[in-house]
Amino acid sequence: MSFLTLTNISKSFGSTDAVRDFNLEVEKGELVSFLGPSGCGKTTTLRMIAGFELPTTGVITLDGQEITHQPPHQRNVGMVFQSYALFPNLTVAQNIGFGLEVRKTPPAAIKERVEEMLALIHMEEYGGRYPYQLSGGQQQRVALARALAIRPRVLLLDEPLSALDAKIRTELRLEIRRIQQALGITAIYVTHDQEEALSLSDRIVVMNRGRIEQVGTPTQIYNYPATEFVAFFVGQLNVLPITDLDPATSSCRLGGQLITLESVAVEHPLQDTPHLAIRPEEFDLGPARQPDQNQLTGRVETLIFLGAIVRLRVEVAPGLLVSVDLFNSRELNLPRAGDEVVLHFPRHACWLM
Amino acid sequence: MKARALLGKLWSWFWIVLGVLYFFTPLLATFDFSLRARKGMLTFLAYEHIFKDVNFWRTFGFSLQMGFYTIIVSIVLVVPTAYWIRLRLPQLRPLAEFISMLPFVVPAIVLVFGLIRVFSGPPFHLTNTFTGTNALLVAGYVVLTLPYTYRAVDTGLAAIDVRSLTEAAQSLGAGWGTILLRIVFPNLRTAILSGAFLTLATVIGEYTMASFIVGIKAFGPYMSLVGQNKTYESSSLAIISFLLTWAFMGLIQLFNRGRAEGQLAGAR
Amino acid sequence: MPFHRSPRDARQARPALPSSWKNWLGVLPFLLFTALFIVLPSVYLLVGAFRDNAGHFTLKNFADLFTPSILSAYWVTIRISLVTAVLGGLFGFMLAYAVTIGGLPRWMRSALLTFSGVASNFAGVPLAFAFIATLGRTGMVTVLLKHWLGLNLYDRGFNLYSFWGLSVTYLYFQFPLMVLIITPALEGLRREWREAALNLGASSLEYWRRVALPILLPSILGAMILLFGNAFGAYATALSLTGGFINLVTIVIGSQIKGDILYNPGLGYALAMGMVFVMAGAMGIYFLLRRRSERWLRR
Repeated sequence: MSFLTLTNISKSFGSTDAVRDFNLEVEKGELVSFLGPSGCGKTTTLRMIAGFELPTTGVITLDGQEITHQPPHQRNVGMVFQSYALFPNLTVAQNIGFGLEVRKTPPAAIKERVEEMLALIHMEEYGGRYPYQLSGGQQQRVALARALAIRPRVLLLDEPLSALDAKIRTELRLEIRRIQQALGITAIYVTHDQEEALSLSDRIVVMNRGRIEQVGTPTQIYNYPATEFVAFFVGQLNVLPITDLDPATSSCRLGGQLITLESVAVEHPLQDTPHLAIRPEEFDLGPARQPDQNQLTGRVETLIFLGAIVRLRVEVAPGLLVSVDLFNSRELNLPRAGDEVVLHFPRHACWLM
Repeated sequence: MKARALLGKLWSWFWIVLGVLYFFTPLLATFDFSLRARKGMLTFLAYEHIFKDVNFWRTFGFSLQMGFYTIIVSIVLVVPTAYWIRLRLPQLRPLAEFISMLPFVVPAIVLVFGLIRVFSGPPFHLTNTFTGTNALLVAGYVVLTLPYTYRAVDTGLAAIDVRSLTEAAQSLGAGWGTILLRIVFPNLRTAILSGAFLTLATVIGEYTMASFIVGIKAFGPYMSLVGQNKTYESSSLAIISFLLTWAFMGLIQLFNRGRAEGQLAGAR
Repeated sequence: MPFHRSPRDARQARPALPSSWKNWLGVLPFLLFTALFIVLPSVYLLVGAFRDNAGHFTLKNFADLFTPSILSAYWVTIRISLVTAVLGGLFGFMLAYAVTIGGLPRWMRSALLTFSGVASNFAGVPLAFAFIATLGRTGMVTVLLKHWLGLNLYDRGFNLYSFWGLSVTYLYFQFPLMVLIITPALEGLRREWREAALNLGASSLEYWRRVALPILLPSILGAMILLFGNAFGAYATALSLTGGFINLVTIVIGSQIKGDILYNPGLGYALAMGMVFVMAGAMGIYFLLRRRSERWLRR
């Protein structure tokens, strides 16, 4: 019996459908991300769990209890907002203790819990400060502590790191995950940043235009995208036109060069003709060394040095460009624009669309 | 949850209805009264009398003129000052804001008291000539409308990032005169216009300063005089005055597009 | 684990423009004007307040302020300013609340702001006329109340030409002024604060009590102080309505300017200074309040 269940949830604003056919079961202690572009319905769904929007249809149950129509202040779910939403007239300690004060917790217990929370976010000395005296990252940590102080059944995070600098973002995101795992608290994390979703989640729900595209672990989402949208949205993807598809030999030709495939089944027809899908990082420099590897030759059109990654655009046939990502290393002889290169990739790394 | 939202809306509607009643009832009463110049029927006779009154046009024209002079003097004083402070003398900013708030601390009645005492005697003798008297009135009005004018211009300057514009213009070879005339003023059009209309609305009906400095030459004291003698005409004057204020404020709204802070000034 | 403090206000990296005495030329006209037409008259009054009829220094004028008639003038003015500030403030607040958070249609907000802009400037002589036509002895409302409800206002002691009549008239421009000032503050209440409070278990009422009202309080008080100042300095409305019957400080000063009663310029100056003193105090408090609320709401 899962901890949080959304069944047949949909939400319409007038004639617009913001969310449709949303079904999800979340286990206790899981961190599930809602990942998708702006307007895909992820925040709306989160707000329905929090109680700030009412579903048009469907049922939400939490810990066995139906909460679909319960007012937000009775649900005991903690929410962390993108804009922190700290109360400007209260100190850090008062903000964190707000939920407890509302529940008429005795002052001594509040003090203890607030200190506990401050220690959790490593801000023990900041109890007397006001929000305007804190940086963005600090404010968000206080917002997190405030939401956790009430021991919520579920923690909801609405793009909590979008407003922060890149470096703070990466640090804080690990903190959030660490705290979530340490406390064993169920969490829903809304983001449009796939790196965040992939690095943090136990499972990811990829959404597009109000619908769920795929639900799976980060590995599943990335390596086995179930729909065209997921394949394109998460990570980079080459989608290349092929010719001479031969089911008998499980092969085809890419720019005239022979490619052997694991399977000729086309999962999600992209266009009229089948296309070859392969992630840029599957390529390596050099000829194929094993029988289950494919080989491609081509000319380097452009090279972009990104530090850890070297990104190449290789022309394997006139007008046919392939994106290739290579790991940088000190001994790597970087090819230059115009050089001829030989690439190889595993047979199982590509599939037909 | 729905019931509570409904109750909330009812509460809001209650206050709005109250506000509408409070706002419109006096207007209705005045309008009704102004139509009863002749017993037993509704007639625009009172309005006719007003519009046929030479003094109406004379005083109205006079106050309108004073208003225009006030606008011009205000703009010529405030715009370059606000500009310079923003660009070159940021340390004067607190002083300028303080000065722009002074007219709140020195109400019209006190100001006019001081102005008359200082400028009617030696060495200024302003009140000996018509020009001098009018100039004194304009000066008083400029002070009265200063808070609004300064704030409107300052906000306008902030909105257009005047520092970058100046640097861009200078890099293209423009001198100060060109910058002020062809860049600053045109971009402040909205702020200046809304300030101008508020000044007009304030000056035309103003009574306190006008009554002591120029007497019944101005529109405010004229209205007061009519009120003492002719009740119906005074009501029609009130309606006319209200419609004028409405026209000016409507134009300001048009320029400000709904910003709330833009409309606080005026004589009481 | 070290956490870094990200820079809060990254100022643009531009050196300050070179300052020279020529810069002061640009602001000279303005400063000159201020000195001539604001400072000079005020100083004249201030100095004059300390002089007797022979020109010698004296504190008698200020002492004379404490005569019963003058004190009662100040007291009446303060009372009417307080009453209309509080009532106008509350009424204006409820109206502003209704069109911002109160869930009314969007167009009502612009409509209310426009009307408030008009009403807050419709003061002085025409306003007095309007209220005479409404609540005077033969005013429309007076007559209607008599016909519809059998309620005779004047028999029951109401009189437009009294303290409360003047207050009702003042309110006409006070509550719209409140609407104009407080609407931005109400709109500054971020939706997330309410949601965060509800999310943490507070009811709507508790949210208002613990978060929204404390945040708004400096703005509300500041606005009421502006309303107070507004009423305190009012002259034309009171004069037109009551003909000087109610002894407000502004009316007394007006008489001094006209030289009506016992010609005592020193007293007039002292009265004026007394007014400035009250207004300066009010503005001072206003500034402190505004500083506090701006500091909290800075991001």
